[in-house]
Amino acid sequence: MKTKKLLALLLTGAMTATLLAGCGSSNNNADGGAADSGADAAQSDLAYVQDKGTLVVGITEFEPMDYQDASGEWIGFDADLAKAFAESLGVKAEFQLIDWNSKVMELDGKTIDVVWNGMTLTDEVKSAMSCSNAYCSNAQVVIVPSDKAADYQDAESVKGLSFAVETGSAGKDEVEALGASFTEVADQATALMEVASGTSEAAVIDSLMAAAMVGEGTSYANLTYTVGLNSEEYGVGFRKGSDLTEKLNEFFKTCYEDGTMMKIAEQYGVQAALIEQ
Amino acid sequence: MNINPEHLPIVIHALNVGFVQTLKLFAVTLLGAIPLGLIISFGSMNNWRPLGWLFSAVGLAPQGRFGKWLSNIRPIRALTRLVVWVVRGTPLMIQLLIIYYFPGLVLGNPIWGGSEAGRFTASAVAFVFNYACYFSEIYRGGIQGVPRGQQEAGLVLGMTRRQIFFKVTLLQMIKRIVPPMSNEIITLVKDTSLARIIALQEIIWAGQAFMKGSQGISGVIWPLFFTAIYYLIFNGILTVLLERLERKLDYFR
Repeated sequence: MKTKKLLALLLTGAMTATLLAGCGSSNNNADGGAADSGADAAQSDLAYVQDKGTLVVGITEFEPMDYQDASGEWIGFDADLAKAFAESLGVKAEFQLIDWNSKVMELDGKTIDVVWNGMTLTDEVKSAMSCSNAYCSNAQVVIVPSDKAADYQDAESVKGLSFAVETGSAGKDEVEALGASFTEVADQATALMEVASGTSEAAVIDSLMAAAMVGEGTSYANLTYTVGLNSEEYGVGFRKGSDLTEKLNEFFKTCYEDGTMMKIAEQYGVQAALIEQ
Repeated sequence: MNINPEHLPIVIHALNVGFVQTLKLFAVTLLGAIPLGLIISFGSMNNWRPLGWLFSAVGLAPQGRFGKWLSNIRPIRALTRLVVWVVRGTPLMIQLLIIYYFPGLVLGNPIWGGSEAGRFTASAVAFVFNYACYFSEIYRGGIQGVPRGQQEAGLVLGMTRRQIFFKVTLLQMIKRIVPPMSNEIITLVKDTSLARIIALQEIIWAGQAFMKGSQGISGVIWPLFFTAIYYLIFNGILTVLLERLERKLDYFR
C-alpha cells in the first residue's frame, strides 16, 4: 500500500514538472515571437505599410475630426489629412473604427497602423506610442447644466462638484489635479450622459468635442461648457519605433507651408486651434 | 429627450445596418454552436479508459485503490470537461479580446486583419466556441435524462448503439432540451453586443455613434436607447417560433 502511495506521489510530481516545463517553453516561444515582431516594426513600418498598400487609420467617430458623411465617406480634419498623408506614401487610407481603450493593443497587434483621432498627447500616450509633432491645440472644458453655469466660471468654483470623466483621458488628469471627486466612465459621450441624467454634477471633455456635442439641437440642449482647465495638444500615434512618425512630421511641415493644412482646418472650423509646424 | 424628425431616417438606417451585423453574428453562432455542442457533449460523456483497456488486454486485473483509479482514467472526458470549465468559467468579453488580439500581440501575426470582416470572423469564432460549450451541457442533460431502460430495451431488440442513439435517444433529447435552449438562444441575441469590445459595429455601437457625432448628428442620446426596441421585437418573434417548436414536439412524451 505504501509503495503505491509513493508511486502516485512520484507520478503526480512528474506530471506537474512536465506541465510546468511545457508552459515555460511555450512562454519562451511567445516572447521570442513578440520580440521579433517588435524589431520588424522598428526596422520597416514604412515598408510594411507600402507593401500591403494600405494605411489602416484607427479612429473613433467624432466631429469635426473623423466622421462619416451621409454617403458613408470618412471626412473631417483628421480624416482628410490622413488621406493626403497616405497618398504621399503611395498607399490608400482605410478607416477602421476601434474601441478607444484598446488603441495600443490595436497598434501593437497590427490590426491598425496609426491612431489619428484628435488624440491628446498625454504622458501615457507618449510612452505607449511613437507620437508625431503636435498639430492642433485643445483645452479640457467643464460641462455643467446651463442654469447653473453662472456659478461655475473658474477653476476654484468647480472644485466641490462631482465629476464624470473618460477613463484614461486628459480630462481625468485635470480633475485629479484639481482634487475634485470623480467617476470614470467608458467615453466622453457617457460622461455627458452622466451630467444630463444628474448622476454626476459636471463632466470634463475636449473643447472641440464639446462644441459639437452640447447646446441647441442636441440631446444636451440644457448643458453648456464653462471653464477651460488646461490647454493641451493633439498628436498622431504610430507603433513604437516606427519610421512613419518622421515621415508624418515632414508631411505636416510641407502641408503647413503650402497652406493645405490651413485650408482643411478652415473647412472644418478648427483653424484657430491649428499649430504652426 | 425630444426626437428631431429630420434625424429619424438617418438614425433608423444606421441602426438597421448595425442590426444586420447583430443578426449575422447571431445566425452564424447558432449554425456553428448547435453541431459543435453535440460533439463536445459526446466528449464530456466519453467513457474510453485507455489504461483499463490496456490492463484487460494484457490480462491483468487492476489492484488496490490506485490501480483502480488508474484504470478508470478517462482522458477524453477529462480534457473536454477541462475545456468546458475554462470557456464557461471566463467572461466572453475576455475571450473576445484574447481571440482577436492574441495572434497579433503575442505571436506577431495578426491573422484576423484589421477590417470589419476580420473582426466579425474573430467574434464568430469566440461566440461559436463559447456557446457550443453551454449547449454541450444542455445536450448532456437531455441525453442523460432519457431513461436507461430504453437503451437496454433497444439492445434487447438487437439494435446497434448507433441506431439506439439516432432512433431512440436523439429525438427525445431534442424534445427535452427545447426550453433550456430557448433560454440560451434569447440570451445569445443580447450577448452579441459584447462584440463591440473589439469594435464590431453591431447595433449598440451604431446607436452610440450619434452621441459623439455621425452623419451630421451629434450629441443625441435616444438612438442608443432605441436599439432596445430592435432586440425586444426580434426576441418576441423568436419566443413565438420556439414555443411553436415546443408544441410540435409535444406529441411524444
